[in-house]
Amino acid sequence: MNNRLLVIEDNEQNLYLMRFLLEKSGFAVIGAEDGKKGIEMALQYAPLGILLDIQLPEMDSYAVAAELKKHRALAHVPIIAVTSYAMVGDREQILAAGATGYIEKPINPETFVAEIKHYLPKDKESSNA
Amino acid sequence: MTSTSRLARLGLLLAQLILTVCLLLTPLDASADERIVTVGVYENPPKIFTAESGKPAGIFIDLIEHIASSEGWQVRYVSGTWGAILDHLAKGEIDLVPDVAYTADRAKSYSFHKVPALSSWFQVYAPKGNTIHTVLDLNGLRILVLERSIQQEAFIRLSRGFGLNIAVVPVPDYTTMFETVARGEADAAVTNSFYGKMHAKKYGLEDTAVIFEPSDLFYAATKGDPKQLLASIDRQLADLKRNHQSAYYASLKRWTAEEVRLKLPLWLQLAGAGVVGFLIISLVGSVILRHQVNTRTRELHKEKEALRASEREYRQLVMLANSIILRWTPEGRITFLNEFGQRFFGYTAPEILGRHMVGTLVPEQESEGRDLRSLIQEISADPRKYERNINENVRRDGERVWIDWTNKMVLNEQGQIREILSIGSDITARRQAEEQIRRLNEDLQRHAETLEQRVAERTAELAAISDEQRTIFESAGSGIVLLRQRKIVRCNRKLEEISGYGPGELAGQSTRIWYADDAAYEAGGALVYAQLAVGKTFRREQQLMRKDGSLFWVRMSLRAFDPDNPLQGAVGIVEDITDEREAAEKLRQAMEAAQAADRIKSAFLATMSHELRTPLNSIIGFTGIMLQGLTGPLNPEQHKQMSMVQKSSRHLLSLINDVLDISKIEAGQLHLASAAFALRPSIEKMVSLIAPLAEQKAIDLQVDLAAEIGTITTDQRRLEQVILNLLSNAVKFTEQGRVRIVCRLDDHHYILTVTDSGIGMRPEEIPNLFQPFHQIDTGLTRKHEGTGLGLSICQKIINLMGGSIEVTSQWGQGSDFTVRLPRQPGDRV
Repeated sequence: MNNRLLVIEDNEQNLYLMRFLLEKSGFAVIGAEDGKKGIEMALQYAPLGILLDIQLPEMDSYAVAAELKKHRALAHVPIIAVTSYAMVGDREQILAAGATGYIEKPINPETFVAEIKHYLPKDKESSNA
Repeated sequence: MTSTSRLARLGLLLAQLILTVCLLLTPLDASADERIVTVGVYENPPKIFTAESGKPAGIFIDLIEHIASSEGWQVRYVSGTWGAILDHLAKGEIDLVPDVAYTADRAKSYSFHKVPALSSWFQVYAPKGNTIHTVLDLNGLRILVLERSIQQEAFIRLSRGFGLNIAVVPVPDYTTMFETVARGEADAAVTNSFYGKMHAKKYGLEDTAVIFEPSDLFYAATKGDPKQLLASIDRQLADLKRNHQSAYYASLKRWTAEEVRLKLPLWLQLAGAGVVGFLIISLVGSVILRHQVNTRTRELHKEKEALRASEREYRQLVMLANSIILRWTPEGRITFLNEFGQRFFGYTAPEILGRHMVGTLVPEQESEGRDLRSLIQEISADPRKYERNINENVRRDGERVWIDWTNKMVLNEQGQIREILSIGSDITARRQAEEQIRRLNEDLQRHAETLEQRVAERTAELAAISDEQRTIFESAGSGIVLLRQRKIVRCNRKLEEISGYGPGELAGQSTRIWYADDAAYEAGGALVYAQLAVGKTFRREQQLMRKDGSLFWVRMSLRAFDPDNPLQGAVGIVEDITDEREAAEKLRQAMEAAQAADRIKSAFLATMSHELRTPLNSIIGFTGIMLQGLTGPLNPEQHKQMSMVQKSSRHLLSLINDVLDISKIEAGQLHLASAAFALRPSIEKMVSLIAPLAEQKAIDLQVDLAAEIGTITTDQRRLEQVILNLLSNAVKFTEQGRVRIVCRLDDHHYILTVTDSGIGMRPEEIPNLFQPFHQIDTGLTRKHEGTGLGLSICQKIINLMGGSIEVTSQWGQGSDFTVRLPRQPGDRV
């Protein structure tokens, strides 16, 4: 049963925070600290969903989202962007690049997992419950 | 000529001589106290005329001499033309005029006796071989008649009666008439039967079948017959006519050539017999003589031909001359007017010949008043004094003309003035021009003083204007230049200064000196003159070259004086804008720098936003996890402190959000989403977020939402941000009482009001309420946390949504914030 989630986040504390909350809810979390590694992990582990931080070093998150969507194996894997509304039009841009949805940063620990589940395939969710 | 006819002539001559001598001797025998009778004599042979001796002769003379001798009168003669003689008679200057036909008209002016002196008729005479057989043959001919005579009137009546078109030309005497016809200047002449019979042959004329107006001829006396002559004349004439041997019949025979036969007096016959022998002897000689005569006749004929040719030429000259040629008698009667003259004055010959100058060609007075009647008299009295005279004349249509006349007198054999020949040219146009020049000169004279004064004034004015213009020209802050053919005609000092030239160095130079090369010069000129040619002012900023070769920027305004010919003259204003251009360049650079700084600021904000949130994300996240007890239970003190961390980190987050929002708004980078959503749940969600705080402060939070509220199309997150901000402020500044949120709608708007019973505001604080970084009463800042950016952000967002936000407040009573948002056509209710 696939309960893997890929989290691409360069900030170690934030990656740990999200991993903590998601693992507490029963997901297997794969972390990647940059886009390039994230794409490799995604191809290697075929996760249930991908959480993509909107501001990444090296390869930016729009390029990562576009690259992920190019692979047929990942075509149906939802990408959930984590944005801070810092830049004008960043949400529209990331949705256009292939993201399924977004959640706001800073995250609310009380509602975070519920928001993620909202974007994941329903049958997988029910099988997890 | 035959010898017989010559003989007859000789006899006739002798008879005449003897008779004349007898008659002339008679008055000398009369006594000194006899009555003096003055008789008028004119030329109408054989009835009356002046003989070669200068004495009067003719039938009427014979008769009056006879009567005078019988009555004991002393006769004196006064010569003149027919017309003049009649005039004298009318005035009583003479007593009798012979040979006057009786007419009722004349009877008004003169008195007549009863027994006719002669009976006569008028007959038309024409050159030999003429074709005049009836009166109708006269049609179209030019026929001479004696002026003011019975025959003139009668002939005109006759021609009119037959409906003939005859040029009837009056002539003063018969001699002239026959001469004129002989010269061929007229076709025929009308004379009485006596004159015609006697003289026709001499002029190569013959009588025609046209005979008219038989009339009885009398002696006319001055009206009323003051000397009582007429009764005596009647008595004498009756006696003379009764006796066929009387002097009456003798005179008739003597003067009418046809009647004369060679019935010579006895002594003459005897004398004639004496000479017969001589004649026979000379008969032989006559053959020789005849030859000589023939030779002489041929010579004379030749001379006559030459004379005729010369006359013809003269006549043509007169006819064709482009001058007026006029002949007139000393009495002022016109005897000739050439064709040019006729055309000029508007009369035909028949209309004008014989008429008096005054009243026809000569007005009584000139327009300027000179008496012309007396002028004509003076000229005729002594034409030599008036060889040249200029006087006003008049045309038939009344138009006055000025003629320059040359007058010559024509003398008769006696050395008396027969006629005056006047040759005239029309100088009306010249006189008018001269008159106009004279008037203009007068006007000029009259206005000269005024003009001079005006010229002086105008000159002074112009000098003042010129000074003014020169001052402006020289003191202007811009260069001013006058161009012609792309050359500098004149320029002011300023222009020389800005282009680095010394005084006077630019005048006369081509504008080429301002350009670096020919191409720039040609391109600049083409651009300028295309604009000037359509009458526009050419304005441009361009670089010109200084004397030292350096380039500088100018602003040029050029305008042509005449757009049709801009090269002929244009004026230009040239401003040195080097400083201005430098300043503009600096400004541009500054603006570029500012824009670059703006971009940097935006990038900085984005980075800061991310960098600030990232650590806050984990602070808030982990705090939440611990407070949730996901990491194990916390004791009360731990829970209290972790809550403080959470509260502080959330406040820090709201500060960061506000600063980022206001920065985006001010950079124009805040973009709103636009989607339809249900308004009621949005409001309720915000109310629920603020409810815990209101509950904490024991504030009554009231919600009053109209039932009709449906969807609204705008940026949901931003609208919720505004509602939360207004509710949060209301709760924050209210210590007790209530906070109420009301939503209503009208036809076009949603109206959302947040009312509180808080501290309120003073009137002077309201205007600055929506300014950024403004929080009322700084003393309260610590009590009421916040950036002071909230209301400013709210107003900006609502304005971007096309709505408005208003506030009313009472110090110490509370505040009302009202937001009006437009409803879209698609919004449901």
